[in-house]
Amino acid sequence: MTTASTWRWPTPNGWPPLPLVGGVLALLAGLWLTAPIVEVDFVRLIGSIGRMVAFAGQMFVTPDWEYVPQLLAKMLETIEMTVLGTAIAVVVSLPLGILAANNATPHPVVYRVTRDLLSLMRALPELVWALVFVSAVGLGPLPGVMALAFVTVGFMGKFFAESIEVVDHKAVEGVRAHGAGWLQVRLFAMLPQALPDFVGTVMYILDHNLRAAAILGLVGAGGIGYDLVMSMRLFQYERLLLIALSIYLVVTALDRASDRLRSRIIHGRRA
Amino acid sequence: MSAISIQSVTKRFPNGFEALKGIDTEIQSGSFTVVLGPSGAGKSTLLRLVNGLETPTTGEVRIGGEAVDGHKLRHIRSKVAMVFQQFNLVDRLSVVTNVLTGRLAHRSWVGSVFYLFRQEDMGIAREALSRVALTDKAWSRADKLSGGQQQRVGIARALAQRPKVILADEPVASLDPVSSEEIMTLLREICDRDGITVVVNLHQVELARRFADRIIGMNSGKIVFDGSPEQMTHSVLHTIYQREGIEDDNSLDMALAYA
Amino acid sequence: MNVHDLKSARRQAEPFPPKPRNPAPVWMAATLAILWLIVLDLDISFEALAYGVEDMAEYFGRYGNPDFTNLSRYLELMGITLATALWGTVFALLVAFFLAPLAARNFAPNAVTYRIARETLNFMRAMPDLLLALIFVAALGLGPLPGALALGVHTAGFLGKFFAESLERVDKGVCEGVASTGANFPQMVMYAGWPSIMREALGYVLYILDRNVRMASVLGLVGAGGIGLALHDTLRLFDYGQSAALILVILATILIIDYASAWLRGRLG
Repeated sequence: MTTASTWRWPTPNGWPPLPLVGGVLALLAGLWLTAPIVEVDFVRLIGSIGRMVAFAGQMFVTPDWEYVPQLLAKMLETIEMTVLGTAIAVVVSLPLGILAANNATPHPVVYRVTRDLLSLMRALPELVWALVFVSAVGLGPLPGVMALAFVTVGFMGKFFAESIEVVDHKAVEGVRAHGAGWLQVRLFAMLPQALPDFVGTVMYILDHNLRAAAILGLVGAGGIGYDLVMSMRLFQYERLLLIALSIYLVVTALDRASDRLRSRIIHGRRA
Repeated sequence: MSAISIQSVTKRFPNGFEALKGIDTEIQSGSFTVVLGPSGAGKSTLLRLVNGLETPTTGEVRIGGEAVDGHKLRHIRSKVAMVFQQFNLVDRLSVVTNVLTGRLAHRSWVGSVFYLFRQEDMGIAREALSRVALTDKAWSRADKLSGGQQQRVGIARALAQRPKVILADEPVASLDPVSSEEIMTLLREICDRDGITVVVNLHQVELARRFADRIIGMNSGKIVFDGSPEQMTHSVLHTIYQREGIEDDNSLDMALAYA
Repeated sequence: MNVHDLKSARRQAEPFPPKPRNPAPVWMAATLAILWLIVLDLDISFEALAYGVEDMAEYFGRYGNPDFTNLSRYLELMGITLATALWGTVFALLVAFFLAPLAARNFAPNAVTYRIARETLNFMRAMPDLLLALIFVAALGLGPLPGALALGVHTAGFLGKFFAESLERVDKGVCEGVASTGANFPQMVMYAGWPSIMREALGYVLYILDRNVRMASVLGLVGAGGIGLALHDTLRLFDYGQSAALILVILATILIIDYASAWLRGRLG
């Protein structure tokens, strides 16, 4: 018996494992030190509950039905930007994914360079690139699509590469044993095996991009985001309600669809 | 007095499969019962009903006079321990913690969700581990142990519950012959020394003959034999392992020739 | 196939059964058509793009001289951003820790709590964090706190869903093993649930932390503190030198965190 207390942990000395204690203490210290920076103030938080409720109350207004046609047009634009940006990214990501997979890359240097390029591309959020592209090509959906495609390549290339890296090696050896060339091995042995993963990735990213596209308008890069901010600034709650609702509905619908498709692919129940 | 009483129990699964077609039996306190039967006879379902892992479609299971139902499940399970074919340990927890899960039903969740245990629980766990001769592996992770050792941890977990009944669902089906022998001897010893009622599902006729006080033979959801090992003749085995629709079963005869 | 079939098959090579129709080309064509319609509808002029690309080189050239005179201020802003991300992630972790077991089919005590937990997580996930930040700024005033809350709420939805899916993959036997001892819901979660998915769960938390650092760096755009607001202002003022410096600071931080989390994940895995 090392401890006299009635309670003890199921460890040799009755105390929790040291790495765990260290980790939790470090986290708590980090939170305590950063609390003033983030201005965490529970009095203020509780005080704001009233305003939150008031704000929510303001949302209960008669929706501005006249706005619906414009809302639909903007929502369509958002969806179109999402689809186009994702499609462009798929085309660019496929070759980059091959270069960035350690079992498919032509040379370790190419692998390293592509990997770093991809992580640079996904380092900054769409919104920052949208800001930059808006200053480069002007307002409208074009900079939005560019920003979406750019960042998506960074993510998709990485995900594609990772799916290629886990393909079954035996099938690759089988194809190679029959004298297939460099490109043939990649096209006939690796890509078909990684395809279900790819589809899952694309669905996941489509989902992500829709959320991102919904806010790109904030910096003038097209889509519903602009209306969102304007109705917020102008306190047009009768519009804000409709916008928030439509974003929620579209995102949820896509979320469900992609969940269903992915689980169907993973469980192999293909129609 | 009977430890387990099973009264006209049937079980039909949602997919329509009828696993149990009316089971009636009593199991005496402190006895060692083996349930024999081909795969799919309903042996596992029967044990799972007794622990409340499944609910009967009709009929009732009673443990020491108390009915097994949803409201008192925690209370019932604290008295009925289960040992599984695949051991069903939590891989990433230490052997001691796995054994201590046997104490969960006896403790409120307040301490246990922080993995805090009372000194007395630690004592019970230590005792259980020494019973299965695994004291030296106490702090190893459960998945680092061999199959036979993992099953012994499973038995230690059952012992830590301080149960009235231990149900073992094919405890040796995934083990080599030597480990199987060890596990069966251990279960028999627990039954004899602690007076715990033990019910074991088995595939091995020979093990059943050697260890059981009483053998229950099941086929397609019904009890087809109930008696002592001496009463289990060759023709009885034939009834137990008979396959539906096959009159003249060569494989069956060959399999039973050495049983 | 019985012996008789095999014999007849040997006698003559049968022709293939009719080839199943392959719908792939149709899907490809439809996809391309839709994409083309989208390009037309969005009014994307390739001329503008071509000009844009031509100008792009010159445009990005303007970012060539990063101006680091205000570096200490930028680092301070980056610090605020990181702190915001940390608080947001911890908040998300706390919420997900309690909601995920309720939203996992095999752990949820009953169907009603399962549905409610699932829908709550779905709702949190569906609200973009910038929209949430806008709302919290309106309620709490400017500063990093509304940003942290927005990140927390949004990513709690993600983390909760990831955790719940991992929990649903926990081996059924392990759950039954713990359940058979008479464990109740909180005990089931702590003994059969979290220990089994510990490694996966840590991976998800790191991923979310990573993501929150990226997002925290743009939350400033809606007044939720951090480095994003500074970038927005310098870009508005066409101050390319300072913008470049800000972008480099963000980039460097994110890459460091990227490597750190990859290292940590490698050690855990």
